[in-house]
Amino acid sequence: MRPRFIAAALLMIAAVARGDDAVDYTRQIKPVLQARCYACHGVLKQKGGLRLDTAALAIRGGKGGAVVSPGDVEASAIIDRVTSEDESDRMPPEGEPLKLSEVAALRAWITQGAKAPSDERPERDPRDHWAFKAPVRPAVPTVANVKWVKNPIDAFIAAEYEKHRLTPQRPADKRVWLRRVSLDLIGLPPAREELDAFVADRSSEAYDRVVERLLDSPQYGERWGRHWMDIWRYSDWWGLGAEVRNSQKHIWHWRDWIVESLNADKGYDQMLREMLAADELYPNDLDRLRASGFLARQYFKFNRTSWLDETVEHTSKAMLGLTLNCAKCHDHKYDPITHVDYYRMRAVFEPYQVRTDAVPGETDSEKDGLPRAFDCNLDATTFLHIRGDDRNPDKSRPIEPGFPAFLTSLGTKVEAVPLPTEAHRPGLRAFVVEAHLKRAERRIVEARASLETAKGVTTKSVGPVASVAAVVVAEGAVRAAEAQLASIQARAAADRAPQEDQATRAAVHAERVASAAKAAEDASRANLDVLLSTPAKRAEVEKALEVAKAASEAARKVVDTPGGTYTPLAGSLKTLESNLETEESRRKPFPKTSTGRRSALARWITDPRNPLPARVAVNHLWSRHFGRALVPTVFDFGRKGTPPTHPELLDWLAVELVEHGWSMKHIHRLIVTSNTYRLASSSAGASKETIAADPENRFHWRANATRMESEVVRDSLRALAGEIDLTRGGPSIPINDTTSRRRSIYFVHSNIEHQKFLSMFDDASVLECYRRAESIVPQQALALENSPLATAMAETIARRIAAANPGASDRDFIRAAFLTVLAVEPTEAERVAVAEFLARLTEAAKGKGLPDPPARARVQVVHALLNHNDFVTVR
Amino acid sequence: MTQPLIQGIHRRTFLADMGMGFTGLALGAMLARDGVVRAGEVPEWRPPDGKPHFTPKAKSVIWLFMNGGVSHMESFDPKPELTKYAGKSIGETPYKDAQSPEKLKLARVTVVNDANGQQRKQLYPLQVGFRKYGKSGIELSDWLPHMGSCIDDIAVIRSMYTTDDNHGAQTQFHSGRHMLDGEYPTLGAWVDYGLGSLNDDLPQFLSIGNREYWNAKDGHYLGPAHDAIPIRVDPNNPLDFGKSQGDLTRDEQQMGFDLVGRLNRLKAIEYPDDPALNARIKAYELAFRMQKSIPDTLNLNSEPKATRDLYGLDDPATRDFGMQMLATRRFIERGVRFIQVQHGAGGAGAWDAHSSLKANHEGNFKAVDKPIAGLLKDLKQRGLLDSTIVLFASEFGRTPGSQGSDGRDHHIYGFSVWMAGGGIKGGIVHGATDEIGFHAVENRHYVTDIHATILKQLGLDSRKLEIPGRKRLDIDHGKPIDAILA
Repeated sequence: MRPRFIAAALLMIAAVARGDDAVDYTRQIKPVLQARCYACHGVLKQKGGLRLDTAALAIRGGKGGAVVSPGDVEASAIIDRVTSEDESDRMPPEGEPLKLSEVAALRAWITQGAKAPSDERPERDPRDHWAFKAPVRPAVPTVANVKWVKNPIDAFIAAEYEKHRLTPQRPADKRVWLRRVSLDLIGLPPAREELDAFVADRSSEAYDRVVERLLDSPQYGERWGRHWMDIWRYSDWWGLGAEVRNSQKHIWHWRDWIVESLNADKGYDQMLREMLAADELYPNDLDRLRASGFLARQYFKFNRTSWLDETVEHTSKAMLGLTLNCAKCHDHKYDPITHVDYYRMRAVFEPYQVRTDAVPGETDSEKDGLPRAFDCNLDATTFLHIRGDDRNPDKSRPIEPGFPAFLTSLGTKVEAVPLPTEAHRPGLRAFVVEAHLKRAERRIVEARASLETAKGVTTKSVGPVASVAAVVVAEGAVRAAEAQLASIQARAAADRAPQEDQATRAAVHAERVASAAKAAEDASRANLDVLLSTPAKRAEVEKALEVAKAASEAARKVVDTPGGTYTPLAGSLKTLESNLETEESRRKPFPKTSTGRRSALARWITDPRNPLPARVAVNHLWSRHFGRALVPTVFDFGRKGTPPTHPELLDWLAVELVEHGWSMKHIHRLIVTSNTYRLASSSAGASKETIAADPENRFHWRANATRMESEVVRDSLRALAGEIDLTRGGPSIPINDTTSRRRSIYFVHSNIEHQKFLSMFDDASVLECYRRAESIVPQQALALENSPLATAMAETIARRIAAANPGASDRDFIRAAFLTVLAVEPTEAERVAVAEFLARLTEAAKGKGLPDPPARARVQVVHALLNHNDFVTVR
Repeated sequence: MTQPLIQGIHRRTFLADMGMGFTGLALGAMLARDGVVRAGEVPEWRPPDGKPHFTPKAKSVIWLFMNGGVSHMESFDPKPELTKYAGKSIGETPYKDAQSPEKLKLARVTVVNDANGQQRKQLYPLQVGFRKYGKSGIELSDWLPHMGSCIDDIAVIRSMYTTDDNHGAQTQFHSGRHMLDGEYPTLGAWVDYGLGSLNDDLPQFLSIGNREYWNAKDGHYLGPAHDAIPIRVDPNNPLDFGKSQGDLTRDEQQMGFDLVGRLNRLKAIEYPDDPALNARIKAYELAFRMQKSIPDTLNLNSEPKATRDLYGLDDPATRDFGMQMLATRRFIERGVRFIQVQHGAGGAGAWDAHSSLKANHEGNFKAVDKPIAGLLKDLKQRGLLDSTIVLFASEFGRTPGSQGSDGRDHHIYGFSVWMAGGGIKGGIVHGATDEIGFHAVENRHYVTDIHATILKQLGLDSRKLEIPGRKRLDIDHGKPIDAILA
């Protein structure tokens, strides 16, 4: 019944299509074939020898013969295949069958003779895709409006104006520009004095001076660090209780490395190399090792495949602008990336695990330490997962590490990296030994102090027997602490001289002596417990004493037994690979070599001949300066991505980046000193022609107003109130610390913990955040109107304005408030509106008999301005 | 004034290009209704205009979710064979086939070697009796006398399955995706994205109750504008930043909001055609109204005693959830589109009865049975049930076999949910599990079939809501369960 019905329906639709309307191949047929068939029957693949990317190729057919016979539907196999009731036979093999209307159009097209434009070209070789060819510096265009061009960026932009007959807007007001560039480069609004000074500075270098000041400011690294933390998925750790499930404790060291690297203008290429492979390239450089927090952050305790999937996906998206993740289950549908390529990339990461190295002054990895990557399982094999299903690995064929070959023919040789001793035995690091010694010495001091206290206790309080026993305990503690120091000294010596039997024997002995001393101390403590215990507890503590005595006896006996091994000083603790790993296995010695896979990847990515990374990076920079990317699909530069609006500008910037040592500050400087960056964001006064030709401002004839990121909203509130603490770095601040004056970048931020005020304004998703969302929701209004923070800051800002303008009239106050909060002069209409509000509110407060009604009303003016659209907007 | 309000469309273009939520128009539906033009740059793609794609049967949704996993056998799917074979391993019963590895392939393990989410072989007897309810005579457990009294308005679906054997299945039930696939928009977010507001004083997507285990976001790639707004059933502190900190009266605060609105409108002279400015003006107006409308809605004391008693507000055992249900009705009545109510706090959810199943479920059902029945009856007597879909669900069922001496483990192969109202048939059972409640064997449904059913009743075509660059799979869309539709 059903097939017959469908057939009848098809005939009807086909009849309609055949009737009056000639089928338009380009509009009706080709898009369907492109979406549903090209991936397997096009330039990427030719399954069954068949290509369908031109009508001619379709007519030519494949190994199975013709699939399209012009004029003869019955002889056209394509129709049978797309309408087959048998799912295993039906094309396309994935997804839903073609729609009835699509099949009908296909039939009609064949019936009408399968006509297509004579100049139809097959799909281009994917290697010819613009982004897969290395950028070559294009010539800077010559434009008519020479005066408008300040630097090459302007020339590329102006060339598009000419092409599209656009007239750029006037430059923004000086104050608007200063606020824009300050928020953009350091994430803080300009102070009133800075505004005044800049407006007063009529010299030609005024703008450049501001830019240099901001780029030199250490707040620059925090502002742009947060941008890169979005892209690189910074997340503090989360888990259950003390158990880490995702990311790592103390991952903030990586955040600090990002901020410091940006402030030092470390090359972007160098930053990528350190993030991917600092452990192989700089195995003993703790500062640089912080960078491998990028890999430590990917840690996911419960599922190694998820962990590595995310690592592969986001390394590719962030650094290469490639959606490698689309090849996890099958070959990529758009880009020449095979299913195997995906697992080759996984193989690059397969051996790595995470450990926490001790940092100077701290031996307890719960308190502080450096989370970092290292190659742990050198023999770990990678298998392709059939259809991406990790339950179904193809064990017949181990996958070797490698990189998608289509990008470059660069050498991708992987060579094992021998590690210096201290890199795989971090317990040997001098500062680690010192920290262990210091800790032991501290304990001795503490134990001796306790002993003095114990000796001073009068017999009255606890009785003579117990007071003597307490002294015995304290003496035992001193002995144990001293023995522990000796143990550490002996073990450190043995660690340094592994070949010397005598040192080893001494270490074994010293460690045993320390254990015995500790056991003796414990036994004397148990004895004291017995003396102090109540009758009800007596039996229990006596039993504990027996156990402690036995343990002490055993420890004493073992001291002089021959042979044995000692525990080397710990300088690092491996994070459990999964919930299956044992304590014993995590404490195994670290490998003496690293596979070199990740440094090969780092070399391959940062090779200037690799066409993608520099383009991807400058696109990220551009989009954050201008509120609009040159390539809108910022993580997909592949064939499915959107082409750049200004391809030559993109390439010029990419080459510029590489040729200036990958200096990001160089690109920032070029951008923010351009005339393009100076444009007003208003479209007022724009010509009809300009608006009609480019209503969406694709070609940047005006600036784009953007919404402040959440961090900038909070930091601006605090900065305007003068209540911001610019201390940099250090452990993340708990999210419930609402009184902290530190910058927002320092709050704990993880998948499960978000600071509440920040989360109202689209803080970063730690899972994926290549661009921030800019939502406008009522909760933001409530946060700025009602939060304790906004309320308190309104009061403080109003107080500061009053202090700076003593005896100010309403008119003067209104002007000062606008300049302070919004960095603009109020218009007359705005002044009137605020003056009326002041009068009404003052009147209302007087009616209630509240103190100082005018001052109260002025606080509300500031509060209203903090809720103004243009407070959270960067104009 | 007929001139379109939008010229700058770069953010929207960005949405189209990135498949990420253009959320600059979070109040999109309201703006669309007010004549603001919305258009995308991608050919043939437009963001939703807030109108259903076809004639809807329902307007709003109440999504009741029991966190932790409700035992289907002790609630909506009685299995006397469990008692008959109690203590026997499944392999010793006629149903040993249930454990054939082929049939167990469904599970996609998140936590390798987890202590929970395991097969439990030894059958555990039913912990509660059953009886027939209503004219339809559908059997439910003795713990559900009140829901039982509404059974003729309810369609019980006994053939659900999912694939995550741990509580990530909570996320999965809401988004349709296994946790290992990443985070995807929840059904509520899709509805919020697709449909316009029914009320200008309240947000259209609310969440009540605990969401500890699953991420407290809904919008994901649709954007945070489509996250549910969390509400506490406490008129004094119903939502974050919901109350002025200072000593301003509402009149004075209104003056402040009016000033903000006036100044923003003045800015539009300097910045004409700025869509964000318009959206922000609307956002402030809604925010100001929400400060009053939400506490007003939560003023449950304004309800007559009979109504309060209907929800069990007079009994400490049912009061908490009863208040949530009564508040839910009041929100629905005022035009909130989608309310997610989660019952059961605690790490993985209060229903997660790995041990002491009897005490656990008896207590939990006691807390929710009367309030939920009260909600159904109240909606019905007010004529709201016809336009409101109510779903009762949990992330999975529980194992037919015992865990420890008196618990049941997570069970994904077959479990029950129910739906009522909004054009859903009442007094019917759809689908079935096998004799021991192990596998869904008849009319099997993955969780997205529930999504598809709800969307269909709301007049939405999930395929038309798709965003360029965010390809959804067939299984994400699901298929409506037509058999339960009136």
